[in-house]
Amino acid sequence: MIRSARWVDRIDLQRFRFWVQLTAFVLLVYGGYLALDLGSQLPIFSCGYNREGRAGVCYLLPLQHQLARPWTQLFSFAGIGLLTGFATFLLWFIVLNKGWCGFICPLGTLQDWLTAIRKRLGIRYSLYGERTFNRLSWVKFVLLALLLLIPLGIGGGFWSHDWGAPFCQICPGRVILPLFTGDPEQLTVDFSSVGTTLLTGGGMFIAGLFIAGSFFKKRFFCFFCPMSALHYLIAKPALLKLKKEGAKCTKCGNCFNVCDMEIRAIADDIERTEIMTDDCTLCLKCVAACPEPGALKVEFARINIFEATEDGFLKRMNQGAPRDGSKP
Amino acid sequence: MAANPDTPLFNRTRQAREAEVMLNKLIDEFDDNPASMHYFYDLFRRLFIQGEKVAHPPGAQIGITCIQAPEELIRAVGAIPIRLCNGAYHYDQIGADLMPAKSCSLVKATLGRLHDHEQGVPRVGKLEAIINPSTCDQKKKAGVMMEELGYQVHDLEFPNVKESEPARIYWQRTVRELAVTLQRLTGRRVTRKNLNTAMARTRRAQMAFRALHNLRRKAPSLILGKDVFLITNAYFFDDLERWTSAVEALVAELKQRQQNGFNAAQKKAPRILFTGSPPVFPNLKLPLLIEEAGGVVVADETCSANRMLYDLPAVDEWRVNHMIDALADHYLKPCTCPIFTRNDDRRRRLLDLARDFAADGVVYQAFSGCQVYEMEQRSVARTLQEAGIPMLYVETDYSPDDMGQLSTRIEAFLESIKTRKRQARTQRA
Ligand code: SF4
Ligand code: SF4
Ligand code: SF4
Ligand code: SF4
Repeated sequence: MIRSARWVDRIDLQRFRFWVQLTAFVLLVYGGYLALDLGSQLPIFSCGYNREGRAGVCYLLPLQHQLARPWTQLFSFAGIGLLTGFATFLLWFIVLNKGWCGFICPLGTLQDWLTAIRKRLGIRYSLYGERTFNRLSWVKFVLLALLLLIPLGIGGGFWSHDWGAPFCQICPGRVILPLFTGDPEQLTVDFSSVGTTLLTGGGMFIAGLFIAGSFFKKRFFCFFCPMSALHYLIAKPALLKLKKEGAKCTKCGNCFNVCDMEIRAIADDIERTEIMTDDCTLCLKCVAACPEPGALKVEFARINIFEATEDGFLKRMNQGAPRDGSKP
Repeated sequence: MAANPDTPLFNRTRQAREAEVMLNKLIDEFDDNPASMHYFYDLFRRLFIQGEKVAHPPGAQIGITCIQAPEELIRAVGAIPIRLCNGAYHYDQIGADLMPAKSCSLVKATLGRLHDHEQGVPRVGKLEAIINPSTCDQKKKAGVMMEELGYQVHDLEFPNVKESEPARIYWQRTVRELAVTLQRLTGRRVTRKNLNTAMARTRRAQMAFRALHNLRRKAPSLILGKDVFLITNAYFFDDLERWTSAVEALVAELKQRQQNGFNAAQKKAPRILFTGSPPVFPNLKLPLLIEEAGGVVVADETCSANRMLYDLPAVDEWRVNHMIDALADHYLKPCTCPIFTRNDDRRRRLLDLARDFAADGVVYQAFSGCQVYEMEQRSVARTLQEAGIPMLYVETDYSPDDMGQLSTRIEAFLESIKTRKRQARTQRA
């Protein structure tokens, strides 16, 4: 194991993650005040409706707008803008893979904070359970398809512009994230047409659901997130990888047990070496909970940066309980 | 050591003689036993030959008939788990009166031992209750017989499929109910605090075991398998902290041995992976025969050793409910017991151990009458054969009668391994 991997193994991954998430949240939600601008192709829900504070914009916003251009434009000059936008998005994404979700996304972080509050209050978590999981895991792909197709339909003249940026209208990011910069503007239902009423009303409802849901269920929303679906479709060239060596896995289920996303395959799949699934957020909790040396590994550009070890496992489990409650 | 005053004639019993013959062989036929092993030699001598009572701090003693009974829960309520699986031929014969003749020696011996409430060896005193996981048919049915012998038996409903989610949920419910039963028995609640302490205690023991296990990877070997089986057998009834400290001391000694370039086995000793029905003292005849014949048992896949102590549970949120669920998963998911419908995990585990410990061959013990191990023989043999690992299948029981015949077979097996290795070497050269 290289030095950095040993270092990662020794640090407290959860604490490390907490600080990375907090820093990223502050930067992305308030960085705009310091004129920080990371562009508008970020692979996370750094919401564009947080106009004052945002330090960069969630790619889904420009993507939906670009796709809604009239088709004549889309298939000529606007197409170039679309392609360069996507290329920038891809470049951002490739670096961290879904690690953007586990470590950077403000909406993901918010869910983890709601979890932390629940923990402090001593309330148990709920689970989707296998049946619900299987029944719902395609939802994010449908949302992704809709958020691509509806704007295309607008550009083709099939629907009115009231349906513009349809996913943003129902996205909890739009309602919630601007609140962090004291902007309650999105906390309303737009009654100007049937379409906007339905969508923004739905948005309010989903924002409420987001808060209640992620209080009881870890990463409640990520399960339905179309950004996560998009990630999965382009994950192949990503640099950060979650690897599994099936022969070393005892199928003990520890990794599944701690996984916020209830990903069963992480424990039960012993064939795949690239074990990041469509729901994964690369939070790396599974690696930290695996007692089998080398069964789970994290690689960056093929360099092993973190892997399951007995010592690391022991340290983390020994620390587990006493700190519960005092931990962020 | 002074004889125990309350059982003056104890060491004349057949049980004690049987234990003595085995223990003497385990100790005397080998030079260079690690000094730290004397704790265990002494423990077995006192308990099995001199009939001493196992020393434990005060607390209800709860018998368990299988590794599937979550010991952390028992310890959390201040009780002491005592694994009852017995290895004595003497008790096997007594148990034969209670079970059909063709039953498994281990189940018969366990019943035979329980038949003698007071003096049954190892002597542990009153058992408050027995937790009997519903694993194989014989253990399942033995529960009622234990009840007839006057014990309070709690059947722990164990699924016989482990892959499915309904089985997992069912088992989690079983384990939660066990927590309630234990609370009723002892009058103490399972709390986050006491369960956490109990889990930490068991974890320390498991890490000591893992350290020992990892040292067995080394070639030349630092310790013989017969000693490791004694150690893990002691875990059945010994005081947890005493056991753990003794293992930690042994691990330190073995590390020293490693530095000195010590070899516990003969040069070029075939390295054997042991699987199948569990060796339990005094029935350590198969590991003993292997090592008498010049082999060395480097690893095992049995519920009296590796399977009992190896796997470690993980908890995400340390609340009592989640801790209990995590424990339940830990006792079900990685288990390679043959009572399950499928045995893919067992075969994968064997391949992994064989590779990891550079095993030259596998010895598969099946107690006659243990149908599940007998039935898995073919699939395991096929898997190993495909991987080019020779396997010796031995069907046996607790009777010492077949030792001569077994030793011939084992010698032949080890000889064939050596020939293979020699041929491989000359081919390479
Ligand atoms: S509303 Fe949601 S999808 Fe749209 S920009 Fe904001 S975070 Fe992204
Ligand atoms: S899956 Fe979760 S963390 Fe990832 S982009 Fe969506 S909301 Fe953010
Ligand atoms: S925690 Fe490790 S050994 Fe256990 S199931 Fe997951 S990958 Fe396999
Ligand atoms: S599979 Fe592992 S990295 Fe992915 S979400 Fe689950 S715990 Fe996190």
